Amino acid sequence: MKEYADYIDDLTKIADDFVRRYEETAKDDGGDKLYEHLSSRIKSVESMQEKCNKIGVEMTAYNALKVVHDAIGVRVICLFIDDIMKNVRKIREMEGITVVKEKDYISATKPNGYRSYHMLLEVESDVPDAAGNDPGKYYIEVQLRTIAMDTWAALEHELRYKKDIKNSAIIAEELKRCAGELASCDISMQTLKDMIRGS
Amino acid sequence: MNILVAEDEEDLKDVIEAVLDANGYTVDVTENGAQMLEKANSKEYAAIVSDIMMPVMDGITALKKLRESGNDTPVLFLTAKTEVDDRINGLDAGADDYLTKPFAVGELLARVRAMTRRSRANTQKVISVYNITLDTDKEELTGQNSIRLPAKESHMLGFFMNNPEKDFSSEELIEKFWKNEDNADEEAVWLYVSFLKNKLRAVGAAATIEGEKGQSYRLAGTE
Repeated sequence: MKEYADYIDDLTKIADDFVRRYEETAKDDGGDKLYEHLSSRIKSVESMQEKCNKIGVEMTAYNALKVVHDAIGVRVICLFIDDIMKNVRKIREMEGITVVKEKDYISATKPNGYRSYHMLLEVESDVPDAAGNDPGKYYIEVQLRTIAMDTWAALEHELRYKKDIKNSAIIAEELKRCAGELASCDISMQTLKDMIRGS
Repeated sequence: MNILVAEDEEDLKDVIEAVLDANGYTVDVTENGAQMLEKANSKEYAAIVSDIMMPVMDGITALKKLRESGNDTPVLFLTAKTEVDDRINGLDAGADDYLTKPFAVGELLARVRAMTRRSRANTQKVISVYNITLDTDKEELTGQNSIRLPAKESHMLGFFMNNPEKDFSSEELIEKFWKNEDNADEEAVWLYVSFLKNKLRAVGAAATIEGEKGQSYRLAGTE
């Protein structure tokens, strides 16, 4: 019986293939890329085990790949806030990709201040999947955000996973304030950019 | 409620402190204008009761510096009966009230109460119109989500939210928000209006600021 660990190499290929195809697609009319940088990661066996424990399911290949949706994660980091929706539209137009779900945490900010645009995609692969489909279908979770939102999320992640932090309540509150300030700054930067370009 | 006292006469200082303390105020006592200024800028006070003639730094100089730093805490000056000029200079420097020595403690308390009451009424901290709320204390704008505004944007939006559906010319806005700034012009107003328009949209506000560059602007509901 194939386990999650046995899929890691195939998942890496699927992720690399998606990233390569997106790099070719994500250009504006002038040929400039629409994002600042792009990265992908495959969830480690350890992290997948933790996630399965957290949601209370056994770590079978099926649960890891069909119940959990972020075995393959892709991040699209943008310079300006309006670039996020330009990238979202490009991804929607990509061939051979099904958009399963979209979640706009930029308009509907999470209570802790988290902002990002999430897309859940399904792509086809020659590798049969854990549900017996051949060709197989694999989920890719894409997170799109600005550099400011990304910096914030990195620090919030640290707060969430580090135990025994002193004053964690005040840190969480200040972090939320920073999220609001960064969001404000992202909008000011976009406004200035539009003004400079005269649009 | 915190009250800051600045008085160099030992006996009077003790009396004021005892009276305020007995009436439920939390009192910090300083002996000159310099100490008063330092305290006032380090802690939030509901009111300041200050003598004018003090060593190191007099009360009027301290008050001027306080107001220059943007501190609006109400100030009551204690003056001698003969010091008419001091009373005028004190009020002109930004004092809210004065009391001539010797005074009845009942009157001191009444004036402190009146002053703190006025100050609370004047600084409405949370303004709500349409579906948006501005907390001017935290400089936080909330609609469907929240963002923080820089000080000038917060002041400007607070003004618009206190006066919804009213027109304000670029000149009026420059006069109000860019006082003492040489490089302020219609372009600067337009830039700030643009910042606010985009931020209102970002929080999902059912309102926007209408108006063309160089013309007048108004906060108007969009639904």
